[in-house]
Amino acid sequence: MITGTGITKTYKQRGHILGGRDVQALRGVDFDVKKGGAVTFIGESGCGKTTLGRIVAGLETCDSGEIVIDGTPMSGLRHRQRQAHFRRIQLIHQDPYSALNPTRTIYQTLHAPLALRARQTGRSKAWAEERARELLTLVGIDPGYVLPRYPHQLSGGMRQRVVIARALTVDPEMLVADESVSMIDVSLRLGILALLKDLRERLGVSVLFITHDIATARYIGEDGELYVIYRGQVVERGPTETVISAPVHPYTQALLSAIPVLRGVERPGAERVEPTEALDERHVDTGCLFARRCPFRTDECEAERPSLGNGGGTPQEHACFHPRPRSVIPVEACA
Amino acid sequence: MTESFAPGVRVRDLTVVYKTPAGELPALAGVGLTLAPGTITGIVGESGSGKSTLALSLLNAVQPPGRIKEGSVEIDGLGDVVKLDGEDLRQVRGRKVGYVFQAAQNSLNPLKTVGKQLLDLGRSHDVADLQALVRDARELLGRMGLDGARVLDSHQHELSGGMRQRVGIMLALVLNAHLVVLDEPTTALDMITQATILRIVRDVHHERGLTTLIITHDMGVAAEVTDSLAVMYGGRVVEHGPTTEVLGAPQHPYTQGLIRAIPRLSGDIDEARALPGRPPTLGTMPREGCVFRERCPLRMDVCDTVDPAPVTRGERTVACHAVGHQVSPPRRKEYA
Ligand SMILES: Nc1ncnc2c1ncn2[C@@H]1O[C@H](COP(=O)(O)OP(=O)(O)OP(=O)(O)O)[C@@H](O)[C@H]1O
Ligand SMILES: Nc1ncnc2c1ncn2[C@@H]1O[C@H](COP(=O)(O)OP(=O)(O)OP(=O)(O)O)[C@@H](O)[C@H]1O
Ligand code: SF4
Ligand SMILES: [Mg+2]
Ligand SMILES: [Mg+2]
Repeated sequence: MITGTGITKTYKQRGHILGGRDVQALRGVDFDVKKGGAVTFIGESGCGKTTLGRIVAGLETCDSGEIVIDGTPMSGLRHRQRQAHFRRIQLIHQDPYSALNPTRTIYQTLHAPLALRARQTGRSKAWAEERARELLTLVGIDPGYVLPRYPHQLSGGMRQRVVIARALTVDPEMLVADESVSMIDVSLRLGILALLKDLRERLGVSVLFITHDIATARYIGEDGELYVIYRGQVVERGPTETVISAPVHPYTQALLSAIPVLRGVERPGAERVEPTEALDERHVDTGCLFARRCPFRTDECEAERPSLGNGGGTPQEHACFHPRPRSVIPVEACA
Repeated sequence: MTESFAPGVRVRDLTVVYKTPAGELPALAGVGLTLAPGTITGIVGESGSGKSTLALSLLNAVQPPGRIKEGSVEIDGLGDVVKLDGEDLRQVRGRKVGYVFQAAQNSLNPLKTVGKQLLDLGRSHDVADLQALVRDARELLGRMGLDGARVLDSHQHELSGGMRQRVGIMLALVLNAHLVVLDEPTTALDMITQATILRIVRDVHHERGLTTLIITHDMGVAAEVTDSLAVMYGGRVVEHGPTTEVLGAPQHPYTQGLIRAIPRLSGDIDEARALPGRPPTLGTMPREGCVFRERCPLRMDVCDTVDPAPVTRGERTVACHAVGHQVSPPRRKEYA
């Protein structure tokens, strides 16, 4: 469906008291999302996930690298042609508070794109009305309740579901879901995840899923792939189950070790890894980007930057000189 | 150093209504909740269950079309904040009660740098030493893994979601309030940052001797950081008790369902099961009987007509007809 090679993005910061400082949001990221496939990005805050999601959705351009959609490289295309390709990819916004227009009712928000579609496809007004109700029911909310209301009258979780319903109004081929289940309550989260999985299986919609709740990555499909991003670089990627149960990159291990343990139900993993220091994004490293914080670093790590590959014969790809699987995730405390 | 004074908080019979086309409907219906001085209490519950409304009530900050219809919120040293207004109320907010509201990610002024907004906050609360305020802010941001100088120089759009969230937490703590209310403080954060933030919240809580209320939809967060956990459903607190007990041996069928619905990192993914049905909204909230009955596996006849009253046994309070007669051994402290 969509592939990216060597995607980079740097933000220039102006007007600093301390002088301008550039932020390298992405440093040469490769990715590949198959038709109907599911790819999940996880990583620390500020590591570039949203930036990448916005580039995939065509809302942001990259500085270098190439995006290819269904075999067509985007770089050679004019703006308008590019837009036509990106229209099939819908972004579900991270923040349901700013994603919805506060001056419009949910009915107005959903009806505008549906009415346009009805006109384009020669369908009736009644179809648009019916479809709006259908989509809300699909995402698990009561159309009768939410349609006449304004966003501020809804709770956060309801708003998020409205945002997903709106993305579905244009029958997209791919959804970029940035933190889109994070606002949704546990009791309903599985439902939304099942919905994403279902959209993949039934309609062949691809899903690019950006989340901090790593466990949810397992629920959008067993065939899913997990990408772990650190400071704008992919440091580990492979089948979701493999990366979660037997991560080999120390950063992935640190990330998974930080998952809160449900005291009373679970106990911490046996080989938990803690970073040796906090993230300091100012630091310029020539070697491994994680080396300063890595408890397993050697001189080699600081001298040279490891690239993504299957070094050491691991089933997943990683960017580490010393890959070793560790069991770090919390385990069920059997009674 | 500030003197240590952790206030206790007693919410009694609190009813908050929102005006809707169908009349005034209750988002909180006679809620009772006690925050013991010096503890960290968590509130978890479904979207729309009234968690944010309860948080806003602690600051008497429910906005129209909502209003506090009845009940009281007694905070030690401040009295019943429901009765405060005007300048008294403005002084309480921020200075006595630090808070991060749920929409905090967006509550920053897009036109001003974070630093300018910090200075505005300081001036509005007559902070004498603004330089010290900036220093404290930078220190707090640094502890949360951010480059304080860069963040204070940034506008909202130059910060990632998680960075904005930490700015909100900094603003809640920087004026040294003794009661801190954090509504979804780590929602947009990754695990490592979340773990760091939770550790800081806990450290600052102990260092300064605070009473802290954390609202979260994430059971893991609650498990990690709270001493005591309240579970809300349909505008009511349905279960409250020591965190490990509520998680390890949930008594209310809603709490049980909620814990079963948590996505699992290992094992069979089908172990986790969504609760059937959907949570009530203001409009669909039943007028009588138990608010959870539509989704409840233990439903009895009495549940259709009588709203179960919270029953306290030892440290645990549960509002459920099916659980009411169970006896658990008495414990030391009163929670309710
Ligand atoms: N418009 C912008 N101008 C300047 N810097 C930016 C801009 N957008 C993002 N950045 C910076 O780029 C980096 C990556 O940001 P991004 O939003 O992609 O992170 P993220 O991984 O989505 O984080 P989070 O998990 O907190 O949402 C951050 O350091 C951020 O401050
Ligand atoms: N301004 C408003 N007008 C009308 N109804 C409102 C308003 N604000 C909140 N409500 C309703 O009050 C109820 C409680 O909302 P509240 O925001 O307190 O829930 P919450 O538990 O914080 O949910 P979430 O987890 O989604 O943030 C919901 O049914 C909501 O729709
Ligand atoms: S390459 Fe070295 S420093 Fe980097 S993560 Fe691996 S062990 Fe740590
Ligand atoms: Mg983001
Ligand atoms: Mg809320």
